[in-house]
Amino acid sequence: MREAAVQMEQVHVDYPIAGQAPRSVLNGVSLRIESGEFVAIVGETGCGKSTLLRLILGEEKPTRGRLLVNGLERSQPDRDCGYVPQKYSLFPDKTVLDNVTFGLEVTSFGAWPGMRWVHPKQMRRFREEALLYLRHTGLDESDARKYPHQLSGGMQQRVAIAQALIMKPPILLMDEAFSALDPATRTGMQRLIKKLWRESGTTIVFVTHNTREAVCLGTRIIALSRNGDGSRGSSVALDLAVPDLDFDSEESDIGELVREVESAAVRERPLVYN
Amino acid sequence: MSFLRIHAQPGRTAVWTLSWFLFATGIILYFYVAQERHRENPDERVMPTIGQMVRGFSDAALKPAEEEEVQTTSGSSLLSRFRSSMLWKDTEASGRRFLISVALLFPAVLLGLHMAMFPVIGAFFLRFILFFDKIVALSLLPILFIAFGIDELSKIMLIVIGVAPTIILDTFNLSKSVPSEQIVKGFTLGASDFSIAYRIVFKQILPRVLNSIRLNLKAVMLFLFAGEMIASTDGLAYRIALLRRHMGMDTIIPYVLWVALLLFLVDFAMNTINHKLHPWFEAA
Repeated sequence: MREAAVQMEQVHVDYPIAGQAPRSVLNGVSLRIESGEFVAIVGETGCGKSTLLRLILGEEKPTRGRLLVNGLERSQPDRDCGYVPQKYSLFPDKTVLDNVTFGLEVTSFGAWPGMRWVHPKQMRRFREEALLYLRHTGLDESDARKYPHQLSGGMQQRVAIAQALIMKPPILLMDEAFSALDPATRTGMQRLIKKLWRESGTTIVFVTHNTREAVCLGTRIIALSRNGDGSRGSSVALDLAVPDLDFDSEESDIGELVREVESAAVRERPLVYN
Repeated sequence: MSFLRIHAQPGRTAVWTLSWFLFATGIILYFYVAQERHRENPDERVMPTIGQMVRGFSDAALKPAEEEEVQTTSGSSLLSRFRSSMLWKDTEASGRRFLISVALLFPAVLLGLHMAMFPVIGAFFLRFILFFDKIVALSLLPILFIAFGIDELSKIMLIVIGVAPTIILDTFNLSKSVPSEQIVKGFTLGASDFSIAYRIVFKQILPRVLNSIRLNLKAVMLFLFAGEMIASTDGLAYRIALLRRHMGMDTIIPYVLWVALLLFLVDFAMNTINHKLHPWFEAA
């Protein structure tokens, strides 16, 4: 059997609270993400979507259960997973070009920035490659010398995607990456990431609270939902393979899937009547 | 009371006038009172007149500090006269101590960074430095004089002990405030722990650290002056303490203004360099 990109078996995450019982965030989550999939994870605010992503990143460890990424347990974030967060995705002290070449530089030269002057040929190659990725994400050379604060939110996220993809990570994790963008920019970014996924074949795990975005982007949708009385954390309420939709797909197809995902995601929620 | 509104927008002239008003008032008030006191008592020494201060300052800035230099400097250029003057020699002595002390704050910055980035180093130093920060540095002065003697080392140690804990803790807090997303991002781009510490966190906090050092320049001078006033044979504070014994206010006041001017220039230079080195900082 082929090795899964991500494999979770009965993963629990509990946060200790002083003087109280631990708060459960994830409760027995099991899932398997195959290489090359575009998985969208949806769920309400606070249901553990970002915790799930941090587990895959290696930033957090499960309290119980087993998590393997490319067949290995993770101890800390590394190059196996690219990462595009919603905020603080770029280094504010570096120009666009330096942001994109940063990964190539540190993996080649290490901690000392002075090394970039010792290897001018290699730096030139890095810059050319970075410009290629910037063009690929819809930016041009005139943007390369700008600092992140001189770019719009959408442009910043384009740079963040180029910055992550230039390292050719087997898995790209995106945490509400387009949430802060206006609708028009958001649609543009959605089209871009889908195009890049089709071209690169990278496994993408995309966390969003927007069901429509999940349906339009993902080839598989995982909905997390809180269990029972809410104190027992979230688990997978829906794991659905969806057709690889285009953004120009029939509105009725998209709408139907959105309804299906939303109804499944809320099915497990407790009904509370006052 | 329309001017006391949050949305008040004073014009350029108003801003200029308001910002210089207290300077002008202070100067006018001083010379008025000094003039009055001199009218009552021609031997008045507490508040020298402008003429006395100009004479006192030019004596300090243009007359040779040592008796034997009088011969060699007579008839020489203004610059060479200044370079053999008491003011220059005092400025040079205090400036040397000041620069060594500021340079010694760099390891303090690195310690604060490492404490924030590496939990083991943080656990080792944090409590101790938090405690050390509460010790009044001046109370250590006798111990420093006993331990290091009354030479330069004790004065520099006083400045470093007085200011370094603040810089260490400030750097620690600034490093901790870098968003965790940036650190995770660094790891996912293949950066090592030290690459993240030096190339992501240090570079982002550097402008703020320089601002923190700027804000502590006055504390550096305070400890420098305390050391020089108690045990020194040269330096700006030594001279002020010496002149105090002779009620030499005509030189003390220009000396105080000279120190303020130097400190202002150092602060201005650091601020300019900070802006030039980190064009992204203010806007980001």
